[in-house]
Amino acid sequence: MYSGATLRRVSTWSSPAATAVENRLFRALAVLRVIVLVNAIGLNIYRAGNFDHPVAGAACVVVMVLWTGFAIWAYAEPRRRTVVLLTADLAVALALLLATPLVKGDGFRATVPGFWIIGALLAWSIHYRVLGGLAAGTLFAVVDLTLREHIRQSDYNNAFLLVISGSIVGFICGSLQRMATERDAAERAAAMAAERARLARVVHDGVLQVLALMQRRGGELGGEMAELGRLAGEQERELRRLIRAEDVADVAEENVDLVSELGRLERSGTITVSAPAFPVELPAAVAHEIVAAARACLDNVRYHVGDDARAWVLLEAYPDRVELSVRDDGPGIPAGRLEEAVAQGRLGVSESIRGRVAALGGTAALVTGAFGTEWEIVVPRPAHDLGAAS
Amino acid sequence: MSDGAGPVRVMVVDDHPMWRDAVERDLARAGYDVVAVAATGREALVRFAATRPQVVVLDLQIPAPDGVQVTSEIVRLEPSTRVLVLSASGEHGDVLAAVTAGATGYLVKSASREELLAAVRRVADGDAVFTPGLAGLVLGEFQRRSEEPAEEPPGSTLTERETEVLRMVAKGMSYRQIAERLVLSHRTVQNHVQNTLRKLQMHNRVELTRYAIEHGLDED
Repeated sequence: MYSGATLRRVSTWSSPAATAVENRLFRALAVLRVIVLVNAIGLNIYRAGNFDHPVAGAACVVVMVLWTGFAIWAYAEPRRRTVVLLTADLAVALALLLATPLVKGDGFRATVPGFWIIGALLAWSIHYRVLGGLAAGTLFAVVDLTLREHIRQSDYNNAFLLVISGSIVGFICGSLQRMATERDAAERAAAMAAERARLARVVHDGVLQVLALMQRRGGELGGEMAELGRLAGEQERELRRLIRAEDVADVAEENVDLVSELGRLERSGTITVSAPAFPVELPAAVAHEIVAAARACLDNVRYHVGDDARAWVLLEAYPDRVELSVRDDGPGIPAGRLEEAVAQGRLGVSESIRGRVAALGGTAALVTGAFGTEWEIVVPRPAHDLGAAS
Repeated sequence: MSDGAGPVRVMVVDDHPMWRDAVERDLARAGYDVVAVAATGREALVRFAATRPQVVVLDLQIPAPDGVQVTSEIVRLEPSTRVLVLSASGEHGDVLAAVTAGATGYLVKSASREELLAAVRRVADGDAVFTPGLAGLVLGEFQRRSEEPAEEPPGSTLTERETEVLRMVAKGMSYRQIAERLVLSHRTVQNHVQNTLRKLQMHNRVELTRYAIEHGLDED
């Protein structure tokens, strides 16, 4: 599923999904603008006798018609929905409100624009959401009430409705946009996961099988084919690790799975890596140091025992620590050899391994005998990783 | 395991024709009687019932039902059947599930022909084929279970000696090397390994029983 981080990166207000919601709402508002315009024209004709200045009143109606047409065109395109447009929209509506006492006289009952102003109000609600709707609604309400000589109950009710409808529509617009953005992100995440699973299946059923077969047949045929087989085996492991890693890539970026990191050390025929079936999550820096220590041990094996030397890596994970063992089948190191080397100032590989592990707060011990040579590395786990083991 | 007469009967299950043919050919040349091959879980179960092979060489990633389900169904039908799981590297969870379901051996697909034949021979003899990789998975599984709050059914946890032996297997030591180092007989080491597998599978049966009691019998 998608993570919170993904959602935060895609802004709720500028995401394509949010813009699509806004486009839809502005299309609906265009229809509403025409309806309230027709209503306003009808009412003004019906009350034509109330005008002190009929010509000025007719001019106001013409302004409403022209502005409605312009607004419908202007709001149709997302990039034209600027502060300038929204402010102008509000200003025209306010101007018509303010013109009412001038054209109808001080004792007017109905304003010239009437409900036509909700076009501008809802534009603010849609574009600036709850705060925009609240601001525009309050402004209209205050202006409307201050213009009147007598405030009747119905005037107050209308003003109150302007304020709360502006806010509520704004709130709903914001919620719709957020939901659309989240749904988009979820759909995208699901599509990506499905595609990844499909690719993994295809790769598994085809490429990986062929690579594994090449590896096997190459080993049987020997010679140059064996080398090709070995390369095929390496690619097979890399590819498989990649598919596995993809699955958990977005789970924890700062933690890595030590099991899959150690898996890269595996070499068909020589190096075997054994580990639990569950991921062992460790901070990336710690995991990489452990892998580096294991690699140093393996290099040491190759150097002392030979290129074809077999080696085994074993990882065991406990709640409080991880234990790593690197063992080879070689003749072992004669007693005193290491101490002798240290005494002569040749610290060498063994000290670099001990140093790396000590820096992680762990211990590295070397056991050697007829059974071969074994490094036993113990590194404590940070306490908050306890849950990752299960 | 044998009837006393005739070659060991084997079934090969793999959805990849190249693989199936290669494994079938190798087994036939080594004297095994490949009585059936199958490309899907469904085919595998039908042909298993018809031919009753003694050993099943099974790829885990096959069309439904998958290798794990096929393993548990085969073992349920005929507990004496030996299942050797072949899997490409990296499918650790599935390998563990198959072994818990009753498979007695595991081999990576990139293993050589000699390794495959040796594994089939040992599985047919009734031995567990524990690669170091499988031992690592099983060790991890017992470790994980020991952290679970639920109490372990008696006799399903590893003894210290068994853990020690398993750890040595995971470190690539042969049974002979382990026997020498722990001053045990080869057979004793083998028994310890066999026991870990038995306990792994027993835990599974206990879980199944508990599940059945909780979800089925309680409602009646």
